[in-house]
Amino acid sequence: MSETTALRPALTAMRLSRLGSMHQCRLSFMRQLTRRMAQENWSFARPVFDIDAKGVGRAVYTAQGPDHTYSLVAFAHDLPPEMRSDRVIATAWDATFTLFDGVPTTADLDRLEKNVPFQEAGRVTDRELSVSRANRSVRLWAHVMDALASGQQPDRDEVEKVGYLMRTTAVYGSGKLGAADREKTAHRADVQAPFQIEMLSVFLTRAFVRDLVEEMARAKGGAKAIRLDPAIASRLGIGNSTGLGLAPFIVNHPVLFNNWIEARETAIARVCALPTASADEIAQFKALFDCQKISFAGWHSEHPIQIEKLASLHGDLSKIDAYLSDPGLTGAAPWQALMDWASANLGEEAQEMLASLILEPYGHLVDDLGPTMADNTPEAFTIDGSISIGDTAAQIENSFGWAFDLDWDAKGNIARAWYVSEEKLEPRLGERFNEPIAEYEQPLAPARDATRAYQALKTWDADKPIAAFLLRHPEHRHTVRRAQIAARFPYSEIHDNTIAADMLPIDMLRVKLAFFGATHFDPRSDRWVRICMYQDTPYPEDLSPENADFWTYPTEVSS
Amino acid sequence: MSFALNEVEVTAKKATRGAGYDWGLAEEAGKATRWLCIQGLDGPTLLASLLAAGYAGELSNHRPKTLAAPWNGAESLCPLITGSALSDCAATLPGEIGATTAPAILLPFVASAARQTGKPLQLSGSGFSAWTDGDALSVQGSIPAEVERLTLEHAGETALGNPELTRSTPDAAAWDTLNQFAHRIYAPATEESRLLGAGAGLTDND
Repeated sequence: MSETTALRPALTAMRLSRLGSMHQCRLSFMRQLTRRMAQENWSFARPVFDIDAKGVGRAVYTAQGPDHTYSLVAFAHDLPPEMRSDRVIATAWDATFTLFDGVPTTADLDRLEKNVPFQEAGRVTDRELSVSRANRSVRLWAHVMDALASGQQPDRDEVEKVGYLMRTTAVYGSGKLGAADREKTAHRADVQAPFQIEMLSVFLTRAFVRDLVEEMARAKGGAKAIRLDPAIASRLGIGNSTGLGLAPFIVNHPVLFNNWIEARETAIARVCALPTASADEIAQFKALFDCQKISFAGWHSEHPIQIEKLASLHGDLSKIDAYLSDPGLTGAAPWQALMDWASANLGEEAQEMLASLILEPYGHLVDDLGPTMADNTPEAFTIDGSISIGDTAAQIENSFGWAFDLDWDAKGNIARAWYVSEEKLEPRLGERFNEPIAEYEQPLAPARDATRAYQALKTWDADKPIAAFLLRHPEHRHTVRRAQIAARFPYSEIHDNTIAADMLPIDMLRVKLAFFGATHFDPRSDRWVRICMYQDTPYPEDLSPENADFWTYPTEVSS
Repeated sequence: MSFALNEVEVTAKKATRGAGYDWGLAEEAGKATRWLCIQGLDGPTLLASLLAAGYAGELSNHRPKTLAAPWNGAESLCPLITGSALSDCAATLPGEIGATTAPAILLPFVASAARQTGKPLQLSGSGFSAWTDGDALSVQGSIPAEVERLTLEHAGETALGNPELTRSTPDAAAWDTLNQFAHRIYAPATEESRLLGAGAGLTDND
């Protein structure tokens, strides 16, 4: 098909508030994973489940695809409540995990048991692909276990209020803590798309958590204990508590980030280019929009910013309902018309929800973009030193011209500094003028640095090669690299100031989590957010091509 | 201990920054150290000895004075900024380079130049000769810690490289040295930053 619609420009798509309004879509990494596993008829097993009455022990969950088998190795612990923390600085957890490449032997499990429970303080090997941990939701775990132990199903309202029994607090992949580098698996079709290993780990973790609560209920209640109603189990996802550590990722991986955004923008453009929509496509869109409204009805937050965004979203949902009645989607280029109307009449939450939703009827047009979201261009790191200083200045102006007018001496524009604390290497954001952190600043203010580099370049002969400038000014080397990357990858840079006094780190977290496929973003402050993953997803044993894709759109009204 | 190449790259980058180099050169050092490990050379040991030389504070004395060949510094050249310049000048390489510290660290940058132009290169100095086409490396002789003079020339396709490694087992003392340098980029913990820096405020134990 021809793509006659231009992609949205980076100046629109890459504003931080818009990125912070991102919603999951067909290309989200969880949905790519569940679709693939169902299409390829993966089989799942639980060869080890060795958990005692206190809920302590180990278990193995295997996922076998056509070419490879992966095993989640889970360790369950009896954690004293005072040690339970979602922070990076925690040292113990309710459960710890690793994703093993293949099926582990008993000797492998013994080795892992000596390391995985200690997370950052342990070591794994290149047989392991990820390391992660999870903590219980104290309120819901006790309620569900006690109910099941006494022969009762848990209260639906309590389940809906929390949404998960455990939340992961970190999932490390790609060579962290000694695990295999991404290069080991990058060529495998089954984990080609980004974060498939991490998403598989969480998918299997959800099954383990359900089994664990049932097992502990059985140990407590004996013959009285019952199993969790599958309908309730289905509503339980895996929570995730995401702090600042995730925010630098999208700045530190500009090509990868570009590929995520560009794939989605390309998909949007393909759908917007369609001259008409069929009755079936319109019906499917409307049905999923109704499901989306159900999902949003259960989306709660206590944070003032998100409360305001949700209020605006709910108002916009009514406007969309009216639009779908009249003028509707039966006219020419209906998706482009819808997007044009949305951008003039709706808030960014609703605009981006629609941008994701219009892709749904068109898997055959957009799903091939999934694998393109990985970064397979290591050469992008290499600076071309032959480019002229004048052309480099033009490249910087193209990506960061919007930043040149900001007053980079004004305190409000440079109020923050990103740094890493020596305390367990936790990434943090500080107040530059109130804390002694400036000398530890991480290179996470590309707009400020680009402005500085541009000013320095302007004092040089424009015809000279950039190599000559970089020999004298190595302090601008990282900026020139980014400028060359941005010239080739237009969505690689956030078009906002990442150190401004009013910058919201949660916006940087949300865009990444939305690409994972998360829903129900609940900011707990301006710099950490809770989400739910895999809510309403089929459990491994129930996964089929019929239910593997649209589970993000629940059909049942939650309380 | 066996380390992932990603760990090598990240540690080398942080250590180089901790030693006082700018971020862009620290990024180069990370990639270069990783490449050396893939080729079976002990990149962390080479980098640790370079960082201990303390060139970062007076880098202008340890870089080529100009890009006109031959390349010479006021003092012995630092292979990080000199190597970065080699990679930047892939199409206009100097045939001769003067006194250089840790010349083995130039090899990943020579490899980058070879990859960019598609032409294998040979770097030679007192007692050694190293060939690379960008991906593979073949070293004859042993590369000294300091050289007075290096030659760089295009070479044929005939040499065979070592098998590529996927893990690194660096010298423990050198690895410790890198981590000590890396530690310098971490801000000392204060109670204020502990409470506010990562955004606590609401309980996370519910």
